[in-house]
Amino acid sequence: METAKQIIESYDGRKLRVMEVCGTHTHEIFRLGIRRILPPQIELISGPGCPVCVTPAGYIDEAVMLALEHGAVICTFGDLIRVPGSEMSLAGARSKGAAVKTVYSPLDAVDFARENPDKQVVFLAVGFETTVPAACLAVKKAAAEGLANFSILGANKTMPNAYKALKGSADAFLYPGHVNAITGTAVCEDLVKLGVSGVVAGFTADEILTALAVIIRLSASAPGEPFFRNCYPRVVRPEGSPAALKLMDTVMEPCDAEWRGLGVIPMSGLKLRPAFAAYDARLKFSLPPVAGRSNPACRCGEVLQGKCKSTDCKLFGTACTPLHPVGACMVSNEGACSAYYQYGDILNG
Amino acid sequence: MCVGLSARVVSIEDGTALIDASGAKRRVSADLIDDLEPGDYVMVHAGVAIAKITDTDADESRKIMESLDGNGETDH
Amino acid sequence: MDNNMNANDFVTLAHGAGGRQTAELIDRVFKAHFSNPDFTGDDAAVLPVDAGKIAFTTDGFIVSPFEFPGGNIGKLSICGTVNDLACMGAKPLYLACAFVIEEGFPLAKLEEIAAAMKKTADEAGVRIVAGDTKVAGKGQVDHVFITTTGVGQLTEGVRTSGAFARPGDAVIVTGDVGRHGCTILLARNEFEIDADVTSDCAPLWGTVKSMIDASRDIHVIRDATRGGVGTVLYEIADQSKVGIRLNSADVPVAPEVRGVCGMLGLEPLYLACEGRLVVFAPKSEAPAILEALRKGPYSASAAIIGEVVADHPGKVVMTTEIGAQSLLPQPGGELLPRIC
Repeated sequence: METAKQIIESYDGRKLRVMEVCGTHTHEIFRLGIRRILPPQIELISGPGCPVCVTPAGYIDEAVMLALEHGAVICTFGDLIRVPGSEMSLAGARSKGAAVKTVYSPLDAVDFARENPDKQVVFLAVGFETTVPAACLAVKKAAAEGLANFSILGANKTMPNAYKALKGSADAFLYPGHVNAITGTAVCEDLVKLGVSGVVAGFTADEILTALAVIIRLSASAPGEPFFRNCYPRVVRPEGSPAALKLMDTVMEPCDAEWRGLGVIPMSGLKLRPAFAAYDARLKFSLPPVAGRSNPACRCGEVLQGKCKSTDCKLFGTACTPLHPVGACMVSNEGACSAYYQYGDILNG
Repeated sequence: MCVGLSARVVSIEDGTALIDASGAKRRVSADLIDDLEPGDYVMVHAGVAIAKITDTDADESRKIMESLDGNGETDH
Repeated sequence: MDNNMNANDFVTLAHGAGGRQTAELIDRVFKAHFSNPDFTGDDAAVLPVDAGKIAFTTDGFIVSPFEFPGGNIGKLSICGTVNDLACMGAKPLYLACAFVIEEGFPLAKLEEIAAAMKKTADEAGVRIVAGDTKVAGKGQVDHVFITTTGVGQLTEGVRTSGAFARPGDAVIVTGDVGRHGCTILLARNEFEIDADVTSDCAPLWGTVKSMIDASRDIHVIRDATRGGVGTVLYEIADQSKVGIRLNSADVPVAPEVRGVCGMLGLEPLYLACEGRLVVFAPKSEAPAILEALRKGPYSASAAIIGEVVADHPGKVVMTTEIGAQSLLPQPGGELLPRIC
């Protein structure tokens, strides 16, 4: 039997564009050097799968405002600390005296709120379907305990409408395994009906190579025929996690959401239901509407849609580097530009 | 997105599981999985066990590749 | 000595004012622990000078928490300077240490720190000969800061420098990487993760001595402290204008460290070590060096992790687990856990 790696390396068929829509896939693909074993006909595009990358500048502005003007303790995943806002990042706010605490879990932020009743604690709820249940559990826990000093600043997003918006950007998607662990695979089956192909992929070297090999085989066996395969069944069940889906539906409801670089995608976000409005930091602190500003020369939006490569942006590697990021794709280790910069071309990078 | 970690469940108490990943231990929420037992393997994300899993990927990748070699079609 | 002090006492601003209480503090803590024939009561220690060259260095230590599994800031402050001297092939001889202590710091803890310094200095064969103590107001420093300055006697026939790596050198690491950084991360308890990891903090003159006894042809020795082994590799690639190839599978990492890194999305190569050296020597010398290292108490898991090449100067290229080549990312900025 040919190994997945052999199938990939020996591919000599038509051009194949594969989009990964998960920052961890982007990161692992670069870290493992998978691009270097690809034949030239296979192009891997890093789509909008890193929640940090698609978080608009205005969101960071809101968090900075909560920290500096309202004196709230901001609890956040480490991923968001260096993301540039219109004026400053959270790291910048911290150097001005803001309390910014890195947490592993939203539930840890609830614990922190309980232990510090004199402080207002705001958790920055970013992330896709994988991360949303953790935020929902945190809100439910705070509600059950009657914690009046905990709230979340929401920017959670969901993938299905993003796939539709990106239809045509690639021949096949590498679906993010941990999102599908929650949502199940019906959404991918539905996409097949719309002519969108893809496979659910895990995150080890073996799992990513296998998923790519499956894409190659299925594209070759019936050209032009849309397909779907679950290549991560040890984690992803067809029905996903009914308990997580029920929890999400209890606590949050769909809303339109702004994606940095892509604009507003209808019904691609989640916000707290009215029953949990007391835990919505925007309402609690009466935040004014914020329209964030990004550097107009930044091409992150096009990068996320596969319309240009990171290296096509004139800010890349000059004004915009991982230490001084301009665009969101440079901030996160999982961002396409950061990955290109850090793992980039050995000889020319 | 979504750094996931496969880990073994050591013990369970009040909806909280103590998990062990190569000796790194943490308490995580077990609220999303009903029938969790010590010895089970779970995928953990942001302090929550999001799915019960089998512990190794080697066998799975082999099966997927074999199914492709068979007839180019598999059940999904 | 003085019955005004007992175990529950705290450091006060008066201890730093230079009067009787300062003298009491020095007597009780520092003289009691550091006592040796060269320890001075005067303004400066007066020391004999041998022929040859000396190595001379200084380092400041801030660590939160100040005590952690495998050591405390006292042990760390001796190891850091001793190891910097050892990296130049210099036998550490004398140390001076300066303390900045926060008002209210428990005297018993200060004694523990001094005791650890003495023990570590003895092991490294170095004498603490001079010191200084200042007390800062509550909140002005984080418990205690220590600066140590050291001199060492250069070994004849040994010359190491970060600029001496040459194509054909083997890259050796003297033990598993990332323990200290991982230990500190866990000790801060910000992420509520438990793991049986202790700091690798250790004085390494003995380790270096065993290597130079095995081979004088060693090009670079550097201790992988802040920024870890990954940072050292980039420093050497830059200073020596060479490329480095790393085999990711050969980098020794304790399973627990890997587990913690997996949970937080961190790379062990960027976590600090305080008892690990990165060594560059011709491949022909590597087996003898490795054999000597593996007999030592702090280097039993020493390993060759890569080689120096003439290609891609300034860059570190990794052979990954799928056999492909990938750049090791340049380290930089604050280490931030990656979750979402």
